[in-house]
Amino acid sequence: MIEVREITKRFGRKEVLKGVSFTAEKGEITCLIGVNGVGKTTIMNAIMNLTPIQSGEILIDGQKINKRSYEKIMFIPDAITMLPQMTIQQAMQFMDDFYESWNEKRAKELLDFFKLEEGNKISNLSKGNTAKINLLLGLALDVDYLLMDEPFSGIDIFSREQIADVFTSHLVEDRGVIITTHEISDIEHLIDKAVILNDGTVVKSFYTEEMREKEGKSVIDVLREVHLQ
Amino acid sequence: MNITFNKRDPLYVQVIRYFKEQIATGAFEPGEEIPSRRELASKLKINPNTAQRAYKEMEEEGLIYTEGNNPSKVTKDIEKIASVRQEMIMEAVDAFVHAIRPINVSLDEVVGLIEAKLNEEQPEQEGRK
Repeated sequence: MIEVREITKRFGRKEVLKGVSFTAEKGEITCLIGVNGVGKTTIMNAIMNLTPIQSGEILIDGQKINKRSYEKIMFIPDAITMLPQMTIQQAMQFMDDFYESWNEKRAKELLDFFKLEEGNKISNLSKGNTAKINLLLGLALDVDYLLMDEPFSGIDIFSREQIADVFTSHLVEDRGVIITTHEISDIEHLIDKAVILNDGTVVKSFYTEEMREKEGKSVIDVLREVHLQ
Repeated sequence: MNITFNKRDPLYVQVIRYFKEQIATGAFEPGEEIPSRRELASKLKINPNTAQRAYKEMEEEGLIYTEGNNPSKVTKDIEKIASVRQEMIMEAVDAFVHAIRPINVSLDEVVGLIEAKLNEEQPEQEGRK
């Protein structure tokens, strides 16, 4: 379980996170929802210890993040971090050199799944295919937790569908996933839990099936209520 | 397998309703193997935990059964299947009555209209096959 407890974060005088708390369980897909600039990426960076926080704490399976944690949790940012002149094969080699948890078999399976060729240069890929490679490089690690920042933004519908298919496949099964989005409608049926952020705090956090069952509301209904308040 | 989900009813309930329809109409035959929860999730593009929930409920209701590690199968209990069919019919009738009552139509008129409608749709359905 990833536990985020009362974290606060300031950029200069601007308070971006004002005490954010939520949990994300293994075997579940937790979705951070909020408009642009609400602090979704900052939360992910904080979980990965890529940015210092002013107060609060973050625990991964009960422990603060340490150097061993990076074999257990992986962050897939919204833009690919590999050098553009690399081929897909070279990018995969890079990951293999860097991470013990790299799973070559799974990487090959994902290449097949996305119908991509190893020999292609990253700079020559379309936006959608770049997003898929970005995802592949993270998903091919045998980690327990995956953080994905806006994996669906700015790509065509068919690529989006293909990426959504990954979530229902064994490639994600049993792992804990935290995903951010400002466009929930595509993935409303895929997520277990929604955490709605507004103005640096968690306004509401709920299981989507429970919300439908008890209140007859879709995630979008709840979002609308939150924003009308 | 194709379900158009609405966003407000629990997904697992919608999945169960679909299975009930298929079982009641015989599209899923007694004892027929059904997809694994993983296959179902990926076919319907839903969360695997939701597929799991639907299967668990259907198992408890006796609509499907699992022996050991084998794939789950549709129930062979003929009475159960008949009662599912009955339940589907009653649900539809209830919904219809609920919708028609405020309009204040006489029974004769309604029966006549239903008859005409059913007769009119029959050839069309055969045409589609």
